[in-house]
Amino acid sequence: MDITALLAQAANLMLTGMVGVFVFLSILIIAVKGLSKFAAPDEPTQPGRRINKSKPSDAEQVPGEHLAAISAAISQYRNQHFQSEK
Amino acid sequence: MDGLLNLWSATGLANLTFPALAMIAVGCGLLYLAIAKGFEPLLLVPIGFGAILTNIPVAGLADPGGLLYYVYYIGIDSGVFPLLIFMGVGALTDFSALIANPRMLLLGAAAQFGIFATLFGAILLNYVPGFEFTLQDASAIAIIGGADGPTAIFLASRLSPELLGAIAVAAYSYMALVPIIQPPIMRLLTTEEERNIAMPQLRAVSKQEKILFPLGVLTLTLLFLPAATPLVGMFCLGNLMRESGVVDRLSNSAQNEIINITTIFLGLAVGSKLAADQFLTVETIGILVLGAVAFSIGTASGVYMAKVMNRFAGDSPINPLVGAAGVSAVPMAARVVNKVGLESNPHNFLLMHAMGPNVAGVLGSAVAAGILLALVG
Repeated sequence: MDITALLAQAANLMLTGMVGVFVFLSILIIAVKGLSKFAAPDEPTQPGRRINKSKPSDAEQVPGEHLAAISAAISQYRNQHFQSEK
Repeated sequence: MDGLLNLWSATGLANLTFPALAMIAVGCGLLYLAIAKGFEPLLLVPIGFGAILTNIPVAGLADPGGLLYYVYYIGIDSGVFPLLIFMGVGALTDFSALIANPRMLLLGAAAQFGIFATLFGAILLNYVPGFEFTLQDASAIAIIGGADGPTAIFLASRLSPELLGAIAVAAYSYMALVPIIQPPIMRLLTTEEERNIAMPQLRAVSKQEKILFPLGVLTLTLLFLPAATPLVGMFCLGNLMRESGVVDRLSNSAQNEIINITTIFLGLAVGSKLAADQFLTVETIGILVLGAVAFSIGTASGVYMAKVMNRFAGDSPINPLVGAAGVSAVPMAARVVNKVGLESNPHNFLLMHAMGPNVAGVLGSAVAAGILLALVG
């Protein structure tokens, strides 16, 4: 094929190619921005909540059970102790 | 006596030709670069060794029936190996920096100008006697400017298989040479003041965004550029396995075992294309020159685009150096940006900011490959 014709094709390809790449990635920019808006609201609060939730629940639940067990044990012991002393 | 003569005619010494010897020397040269200089050793070791094996006379490893022939036929002629590697690269890629600052996609797009300008340059080279590049050849050569090995091999195997050896060697050699090729261009095109620009810290990116990103990219590909689906699809699959967090075993395999095994055979198969009659041509010299030009133009256009964007950036400035990372070559190009930035300002760490355009460059070169396949293939 004639070189000048090939050159014209190559120039055409260069133009279409660059326009194509820019258009595609520009659409992707818009998509990613939309994605961030759509995905952002729930996420930042989640880790915070998780931490807030987990700590108090740990602090409340486990000592609560322990307290009940301990107080029950103490009262039982006291009852036995008192009875034996008496 | 006849027996002795027959034995002699079966030895390598009797059959060794000068071109084959020269190619064995090229293979040894690649091994030297890989082992002694540390240039892309993961690929240049199998490629160099494959080149030596291919050129061993009588054995015919790259002829029909030989091991390397089948490895090439199964892995590269079919396009499977580069795509498996792309899946692994997807599983290794973290898109957070890009999702946090999606404008960086424009830098990844601008750097692809290296590809299309080189395509024009390759055709221009036809004016020199001895060169006869078709539009397919020129496209396959130009993709070297995408600085992405698997993409280059995939496109070359589709468009111009006879040039594949030289294209793959040029692509991987120049990727190894990124720290030498890029900094002078970056310094030439930027002022000291521009290199000092500090960029605002990137926001944290949620897991949901990271999971939806590959799916979004895939959706856009199937809508606008289905020709790029093999590359982008495998890339997105790898990335989704990584980010979903539910298939860590698969993600780890893609990042390690699969990519490693494929790399060995991909290298050998590329090496099998380094036969004397295919490689020792004037076209190879043209490809090596055009590859360097493609890299340089890609780097320069990325930097220029970043300068233009910085003009309109307002309160969140862009350091023009990060534009150079738009030629994929992950993560080497981003490291080079960081290094050149630190030379101007030892407190300005640009690595994370450069990772955005860097991974955008991977997508950009896959898209460019898709466009070339759609228009020329």
